[in-house]
Amino acid sequence: MIALPLVAVVAVVAALRATFERNTARKLPYVNVLNFAIAASIVLLLDHPLSLVAAAAYFVGSTLEANAIASTYAGARNQ
Amino acid sequence: MLGELLYILAAAIITWLLFVSVDIFFRLPEKGGVSGASAVARDIQAAGGDIAGGNMMGNIVCSPDASAGTLLAACGVYVAGIPGGLIAAALVFIGNRICHDPGYAGTTGALLATFVVYGFTQVGFTATNFIAGTVIAILSIQGISHVHASRLLARLWRVRQ
Repeated sequence: MIALPLVAVVAVVAALRATFERNTARKLPYVNVLNFAIAASIVLLLDHPLSLVAAAAYFVGSTLEANAIASTYAGARNQ
Repeated sequence: MLGELLYILAAAIITWLLFVSVDIFFRLPEKGGVSGASAVARDIQAAGGDIAGGNMMGNIVCSPDASAGTLLAACGVYVAGIPGGLIAAALVFIGNRICHDPGYAGTTGALLATFVVYGFTQVGFTATNFIAGTVIAILSIQGISHVHASRLLARLWRVRQ
């Protein structure tokens, strides 16, 4: 099963790119890829029906965080 | 193993076409849904990208769109077949409302993806192919080159217009 290692590699690449990107707003698409990869890994790792709920909860929570960071960044820059 | 890799690449292409079509149909490149999405778009444009593609990428960052719907639908089909995909669509709907998203791109994407993923599982694919495929597809848009991805999305958006 190559799906899980592939998703893990994508997560590491996205994390590295987010770390080394200097512009705050442009970090967020990389973090978005990282969140996709983590949500996918949760379902691929945990063999349980509730893993779907865990992945959705993680994904929605992390998207809301990205939304908040982006909006704060936009507000701070407009001042 | 090579066979599985080819299935994952095919799944990536299918999911890419699916969620980009749904997102463009729901006019994600038109404007940023929240101020944060517009900020991401402006910075992508400042780096040499296109504002329309940037808007879509900003919207993908700030709320679960059709790509998130596709991922969670694939996870749902993997866990519990079509009912799992429908539960995923309901969770995406809740996620959209939490993220102050007035649109239905995520929910529609999840519903469509449920049936697409289930259909392909009947012809040799597995749901895990689609889970990994969606991650590869979103990497191609959000994680390789923001400038080129935004220009490609803007070109597709102009075709839609």
